[in-house]
Amino acid sequence: WGIFITGRGSHHKSNNGRVNMASVFDSCWFLWFLPVCYEQWWALFASISPYAWATTGIALAIGLSVLGAAWGIFITGSSLVGAAIKAPRIQSKNLISVIFCEAVAIYGVIIAIIMQTKLVYESSPSSSFAGYGLFAAGLVVGLSNLFCGICVGITGSACALSDAQNPTLFVKILIIEIFGSAFGLFGVIVGIIMVGKCSFE
Amino acid sequence: MAGVCPPAAPFFGFMGAASSLVFSVLGAAYGTAKAGVGVASMGVMRPELVMRSILPCIMAGILGIYGLIVSVILVGQVTEDSYPYYSGFAHLASGLSIGLAALAAGICIGIVGDAGVRATAQQPKLFVGMTLILIFAEALALYGLIVAIILSGKTASSC
Repeated sequence: WGIFITGRGSHHKSNNGRVNMASVFDSCWFLWFLPVCYEQWWALFASISPYAWATTGIALAIGLSVLGAAWGIFITGSSLVGAAIKAPRIQSKNLISVIFCEAVAIYGVIIAIIMQTKLVYESSPSSSFAGYGLFAAGLVVGLSNLFCGICVGITGSACALSDAQNPTLFVKILIIEIFGSAFGLFGVIVGIIMVGKCSFE
Repeated sequence: MAGVCPPAAPFFGFMGAASSLVFSVLGAAYGTAKAGVGVASMGVMRPELVMRSILPCIMAGILGIYGLIVSVILVGQVTEDSYPYYSGFAHLASGLSIGLAALAAGICIGIVGDAGVRATAQQPKLFVGMTLILIFAEALALYGLIVAIILSGKTASSC
């Protein structure tokens, strides 16, 4: 009965946790509900190289951080130049909102450089733990910087528009922007803790 | 299979730590931005009320702190050995519970804060009512934090 389910009898040996992909698909793709097939889906998951996880994490860390910074800069910048038509005095003070958004991209660069120092080649890594850790760190840093950048951009746009109406409002709305920029730092903190746990050796 | 730890379990633990911070920051960022735009709009007419009206933004920021706390706890719990699927999925659930609860609370605080500060500019007596509604919204994230801390303690001593 086992041979009927799996098709052939001899292809379950694993080399370093990698499984012959043909055995997963030609036996279990239409018998996914059988308990013997659950393990093969875990093997599919486990046979993704840890370096794939790690490098994807590094790319996400820098890519999503820069996306958040750019998004925030265009939201703030477009409002700034629009409001400065009738109130040109606001343009030099409100550039600080643009700098807050740029700082988010700098966080991404710093974390990506820290992460790449952990990326060393081992011909047979002991486990995928470091790969998973770097992937999660990349997600944390990238996505939290993305949301922080958009938040600071929206608040900076509101700051420029209200500053154009009433100069005393600039500092008060800047306080809200400072609260917003703290979220990128949360991501950096957790990202550094995660990267510290990862080691391919 | 006694004694052999599944290599895929730490993936779910790390995903719990990541989701706790990512979703909390999304909720907190939404709340801060939405309420901040309301404050800037009402400040044009009533600049003397702006400092009191920053309250919704502060309450949204606290949600990010909740996510940070749970994320740091979970990163400390994920290990390479003696980490079965029990721990991995418990930590995933812990991260999702605080993350999604803080996301919901952040959206709520943002929308209520935006409407509340604009209304407070026209009727200053409404500040107390807005604060009460914001406290109920913040309590939602606290419920998620309680469950997340309980689940984050679920570890195993061996596989």
